[in-house]
Amino acid sequence: MKSTLNMALRLSLICAVAALALANVAEVTRRPIAESEARAQREAVEAVLPPFADLAVDTLETEAGSPVEYFSGVDDTGITGTAFTSVSGLGYSGEIEIILGVNPAGEISGVRILRHAETPGLGANYADPELLNRFYTGRRFNDNWKVAKDGGEVDALTGATITGRAIADAVERGVARYRVDKDRIKAELAPVEAEGTSP
Amino acid sequence: MSYSQTFTRGLWKENPIFRLLLGLCPVLAVTTSVENGIGMGLASTFVLICSNFMVSLLRDFIPKKVRIPAYIVVIASFVTIVDLVMHAWFFELHKSLGLFIPLIVVNCIILGRAEAFASRNPLSLALVDGVGMGLGFTLGLALLGGVREIFGSGSLLGFPLFGAGYPPVLVMILPPGAFLSLGFLLAGMNRLEEKRAIRAGETYASPREMDCGSCVLCKLDENITDR
Repeated sequence: MKSTLNMALRLSLICAVAALALANVAEVTRRPIAESEARAQREAVEAVLPPFADLAVDTLETEAGSPVEYFSGVDDTGITGTAFTSVSGLGYSGEIEIILGVNPAGEISGVRILRHAETPGLGANYADPELLNRFYTGRRFNDNWKVAKDGGEVDALTGATITGRAIADAVERGVARYRVDKDRIKAELAPVEAEGTSP
Repeated sequence: MSYSQTFTRGLWKENPIFRLLLGLCPVLAVTTSVENGIGMGLASTFVLICSNFMVSLLRDFIPKKVRIPAYIVVIASFVTIVDLVMHAWFFELHKSLGLFIPLIVVNCIILGRAEAFASRNPLSLALVDGVGMGLGFTLGLALLGGVREIFGSGSLLGFPLFGAGYPPVLVMILPPGAFLSLGFLLAGMNRLEEKRAIRAGETYASPREMDCGSCVLCKLDENITDR
């Protein structure tokens, strides 16, 4: 009995010390992690939007599913473009999440892949920014968002049609949602920029 | 056992990957490139050194009967620390290794060294063992990552090697490539070891099978008495 108690006490002590150490490390790394996440998000937004001076973030509630964040690039002339993420479940292995930018003229200004688990060397080749620019930048909202193989207008890589289809699907969904939300999106600059955006 | 022996043992004679075949889950999963291999190796090395240190330090404090949970708490804490630190300051690396970092907890090389070495050796030896085993593990990961990156992507550390005309052997960066590369590397290692043994006039002993017959972990229990 005594030894059992002793055992439990010692194990608890080890756990308590470990918990204390972890709490400290979590506290120390909280800010750097939030900053890294915000920086990565900012870089992705910059990659898909035309040049802008300031970034305004607006979170809209949607009827179905989670709220959507719209990032609007703003300069002296007004809104230069709006960026947002979109997801397609049609990927070859799991979901593909993209961020896309649209300009006020109703064109795609850029597409980048944020998250995917496609086959290296095949589907994963779509992550190449130049390729995505060639395939998507300048396309208009009313384009036929199907890959060429399915009778649409979007190019896809030979041997990786499924991934191409999923990206086109994500773009189409994103554009459709944006057109619904468009008039509700506010492009007001946040008064405090230092805190970064929530991840 | 001397310090130098303890250190070099992990690099070759008892290399975790090529001789002990321990911790193969991360070995096979992350070695699609040298960079990933080295990143994973160094993360595991850090955890290994820290856990060896703590386990050796607490070896008289941890009751034998609950030693495994105690080791796991120690190891899991250090893994979480690595995960948080990497997320904060090595963001890109964390993005490509992210999924596998938490798996270091169940990497048997770490629990194995805690149980088989650190828990019964003084602090300094346990540290040296952690460094040696960790570097041996990193070396193996880098080697495997190198082979797979060269054949599967036609590059090394991200630099293209063969020019644009080279069609990459895709299978090498896919999961089967991990098994193929490891198999050939193991065969090569055994061949080298055999040649060395013959040249030195020793009898060559093929690597021990890690089955119940040669594993020491359970047998430890037989000598355990209640404290």
